[in-house]
Amino acid sequence: MALFEPVIMKGIGEIDLTDIDVYERNGGFAGLRKALREMTPDSVTAEVTNSNLRGRGGAGFPTGRKWGFLPKDGRQRYLVVNCDEAEPGTFKDRMLLEYTPLQIIEGIVISAYAIGAKQAYIYIRGEFLNGSRIFRNALAAASSRHYLGERILDTDFSLDLVVHRGAGAYICGEETAQLESIEGKRGEPRLKPPFPAIAGLYGLPTVVNNVETLCYVKHIIERGAQWFAKIGPEKSPGPKIMSVSGHVKKPGNYEIPLGIPARELIEEYAGGLLPGRTLKAFQPGGASSAALFVEDLDVAIDFDSLGAKRTMLGSGGFVVMDDTACMVNCARTLTRFFEHESCGQCTPCREGGQWVARMVARLEAGEGSEEDLRVLDTINSTITGTNLCPLGDSIMPFLASVLKRFPEEFAAHIAHGGCPLKQTPVGAA
Amino acid sequence: MVKLLIDGQEVTVPDGTLVVEAAKELGTQIPVYCYHPKMDPAGLCRICLVEIEKIPKLQIACATRVTEGMVVHTMSPKVAEARRGVLEFLLLNHPLDCPICDKGGECDLQDFTMEYGPGASRLTEPKLHKPKRVDLGPTIVLDEERCILCRRCTRFDDEIAQERNLVVVERGHSSLIGTVDGGDYESYFSGNTTEICPVGALTSKAYRFRARPWDLGHADSVCTQCSVGCNYRVDTRFGKIMRTFTRENPAVDGGWICDRGRYTFNYLYESARVRQPLIRRDRELERATLSEALAVTAEKLGAAAAAGRVGVIGGGRLSDEEAFALQRFAREVLRTNNIDHRARLQKYASPARFGARLTDIDDADLILVFGAVTPEQAPILDLRIRRAVARHGARLVFVGPFKPELAVPFDYVEYTTGAIGDLMEALASGVARGVPDGAPFVAELSKALSDAGKIVAVHNGRNVVAATALERLVETLRGNDKSAGILVVGSQGNARGAEAAGCVPNLGPGYAPVSNPGLTTTEMLQAAAAGKLDALFIVGANPALTFPDGGLARKALETVPFLAVSDQLLTETASFADVVFAAASQFEKRGHVTNLEGRRQAFAQAIEAPVHVAADAAILAGLANAMGRIDVLFDDPDWLFSRLEMAEQAAGTKEPLPRPKLDSAAAPQAEALDAQRKTFAVIPVPKLYAGGGAAAHDPGLEPMRPQPRAIFSEDDALLLGIADGRIVTLAGRNGSITVPARIDARTPAGSVLVTADMPDAPVNRLLDASGTGRVTVTPAEARREVTA
Repeated sequence: MALFEPVIMKGIGEIDLTDIDVYERNGGFAGLRKALREMTPDSVTAEVTNSNLRGRGGAGFPTGRKWGFLPKDGRQRYLVVNCDEAEPGTFKDRMLLEYTPLQIIEGIVISAYAIGAKQAYIYIRGEFLNGSRIFRNALAAASSRHYLGERILDTDFSLDLVVHRGAGAYICGEETAQLESIEGKRGEPRLKPPFPAIAGLYGLPTVVNNVETLCYVKHIIERGAQWFAKIGPEKSPGPKIMSVSGHVKKPGNYEIPLGIPARELIEEYAGGLLPGRTLKAFQPGGASSAALFVEDLDVAIDFDSLGAKRTMLGSGGFVVMDDTACMVNCARTLTRFFEHESCGQCTPCREGGQWVARMVARLEAGEGSEEDLRVLDTINSTITGTNLCPLGDSIMPFLASVLKRFPEEFAAHIAHGGCPLKQTPVGAA
Repeated sequence: MVKLLIDGQEVTVPDGTLVVEAAKELGTQIPVYCYHPKMDPAGLCRICLVEIEKIPKLQIACATRVTEGMVVHTMSPKVAEARRGVLEFLLLNHPLDCPICDKGGECDLQDFTMEYGPGASRLTEPKLHKPKRVDLGPTIVLDEERCILCRRCTRFDDEIAQERNLVVVERGHSSLIGTVDGGDYESYFSGNTTEICPVGALTSKAYRFRARPWDLGHADSVCTQCSVGCNYRVDTRFGKIMRTFTRENPAVDGGWICDRGRYTFNYLYESARVRQPLIRRDRELERATLSEALAVTAEKLGAAAAAGRVGVIGGGRLSDEEAFALQRFAREVLRTNNIDHRARLQKYASPARFGARLTDIDDADLILVFGAVTPEQAPILDLRIRRAVARHGARLVFVGPFKPELAVPFDYVEYTTGAIGDLMEALASGVARGVPDGAPFVAELSKALSDAGKIVAVHNGRNVVAATALERLVETLRGNDKSAGILVVGSQGNARGAEAAGCVPNLGPGYAPVSNPGLTTTEMLQAAAAGKLDALFIVGANPALTFPDGGLARKALETVPFLAVSDQLLTETASFADVVFAAASQFEKRGHVTNLEGRRQAFAQAIEAPVHVAADAAILAGLANAMGRIDVLFDDPDWLFSRLEMAEQAAGTKEPLPRPKLDSAAAPQAEALDAQRKTFAVIPVPKLYAGGGAAAHDPGLEPMRPQPRAIFSEDDALLLGIADGRIVTLAGRNGSITVPARIDARTPAGSVLVTADMPDAPVNRLLDASGTGRVTVTPAEARREVTA
């Protein structure tokens, strides 16, 4: 069957889109020209609203509606571009940053124009050193051709874009923690309300958008809202990059139309499982998402269908685990991650997170007990949904889902005093 | 107003009220740790989760605002489960060392665990450990294991103190409380963090391991360490003071006290405390009984009074009742109007009808400060200024001879003490005429004053020219329908009470003018030094250290044939005395004191005075008795208070209040710069923990006590050839002091900033009666030869 014709990944791996001449020859800045020269900010916003574009950073909030929350009170506004991609299993923003930075810049300028921001910040994950260098070069090139800065393309619109590099904290991907970090403070989520649209960066109205989201804005402006809205399900439309990793033949980023079954992504796009393996579990939306299993392979990949399965599309980090994967080990890795990345503000996330991580580590090492399983069973309700930001809600979903689906695997660790899979090693692929 | 249901009970509260506060209206307690009514909601501890109908997730009551028709459940099974969960998490690695924890008995972690918590821990592995005895700074020890990371302390340092030194370091469950640079947590307000800490993580060095809360007796008192008059509670055990604790009065202290106020009480138990009257025999002060001291003093004062050669100095450190008794003793028994509470430069303590309230600072648009250095001399007033600037957007303008370190941004206008009057004159006439003129910033400031809706000015009552011009300015502004007022920071804790009670030479109680004004403090000291007085009686004042012309003060104290001093400590002044009365402290008596805004506040007795120590009221009544005037004074505070009130009513003084008689000393003149730098102008710099009384003798204040310093500008230091830390000798009109030099670019050229009121290096050796002076500066080597 034919794979989806890429939109924002078009040309990646084929031509050097970091070269501004190449980018321009391949349709670069057409959306920017159209927006600034032919459209008003309101009509750009209307186009994005009508496209039903939902944020690609993880929460899936409708982008046009988010822009619409900005109060029309004459105060300065900021656009903050979230490129602090750190969700284990997600690596799409890094690719966009390194391979098509000018597309990001184009999306930023159009979006800033729509919301009336004269100042934008892009928050790039600290570890993306190479990406940030590439982006800075792209920024310089775009500025020299007048796509950024004062009176862009001789219109009345001006935009200053600041590159702000993170320092290695996962929590700074949370939008309000990111604002704190840009302000020079500890990267810790803020109490909401007020939401960033009302009081964001430096207390001023702010929109925080993911880089992938902004890349789609460019194409929505070029091709129109209807083009986008007609791809995929009505309430969850458009293409989306899925970062497929784990036990598949061809791990990598794939741009899919939302709504295709998980089975299609695994088999058609990612080349299927390794020879002789069977599917055990997959996470559709990064480390924070609950696992789905072989019986869920026909679930449609979109915000609402996955939500109905009590998991989520998230940022599109699609992790495939086959029968060689130990669920306890996977849970150990993920709970350790969230324990380490908790900012420490909220009690359940800070204390509960480290307790869970210690228990799972103990279970994995074969030193756990039935009591641990009983505690893990009851602790979900006191950790999940009781914190200030979603990080605390990310600790339990995977663990809870595999505990429920594979209780015998946890019991076996207790009974065997360690991982039974390790005792009968399976040959590496 | 918004109507809502909490646990089935209807309550109506103002729009914007937090659910946790609305619940309080019904007497429903929602447990909180991070929430504190004086600070912004933080939403961190999650103990206050409640169920709100139509919202799927539990919501935090500390940050959720009420809406019309909201239905809240604070005791549902879901809520109980969440609370139990949070408590289980908080207790996981908590050391449970309650039996040796200072907080035990008043600990929210104990109390909420008893009420809502799980009975036992499900932790099956060893607890995680963190540092147990972290020396956080001069006042506080931190136990990281007890800390529940509610961040009340760091938020206090940020939002309330505006200092932002105390912070969370590390991350997640490794988080620790620390300072920005890893140095000490030094703040004039540090003690408040031990109070707002809901657990035993922050403990005060002064109180650690000294008592259990349930063993403490309590007395509602008022702090007299400065003139703000913060309300506090004195906690005692076995007749000793263990600690002090805030007792919120929103109109005065807003629920905070400064560390000087909080920790100044251990001097009571030190060797410098005068525990028995002393009489000078054969040049030495020797212990005596109170009746001996009274008899000797009565005889000497009586004889001097009969000759009309007697003077009385003091009142600012007494209660209102005792200040009234002191002036009554002077006027009725000694028959003199030579009575003055002003042992410093302060000319008057009341801004009369131009007065402002402390709370006026809160929503002021412009705050103008001169003379007073508010963080050093009125810390809790300064806390209000900080909040007004940081939260209300008030503009703070500080005028003075040096730029102080303030916690919030401010505009500094450099003016020598003598020239501030000219500036105020210019501002007053600029605003009055509506045509700002003069130097650009004078015009700008005049305009700002005219534009501001509410103005509060703070000064120290020393500069009469400036203060008078300021009052004209306030009058003009009020005429223009602006809110404007003045606060005068008292030179002693009860300066305003003493003034109102009649401890000034020309005014009786209630500002009733007297027909034959007596001598001011300066005049009394001049007269004594010239041999024109036979006796001086100094009560709760230390002119030897604090009177600006230290040479005059010391000469007067040496020369006067008879000197009686009543004090708690053997001060510099008391060491000159022929008789020293052992006076009771504030804690050992009851009465009233009047704060800088004129608020008269009652304080209760906390402890008994030592056997031979008497309250000043009793000493004065005893003296009157010994002098045969048995019906003039009684030591009962109630009797004295009723007489004071009667006298005030009889005076019936109408605004404007008459002003105390001014000192004959010349007003300070604008200083001319010595271009040759042969001499330097001395600028005394007040420090919170300076002084020769309690501050010098309280071991609790020892770590905070400032070192005397002489601070020069960079250029002048270069000219003098001195480096930072070099010992220098400053020689002035009455002697010299030897102190380490410091270099600070903020020092005005040709001036030297000298720490004021340091017993080991009294700046008043260098000043005249107007508070100004010039010194020569000699680096250390020259001095070393002298001492070698």
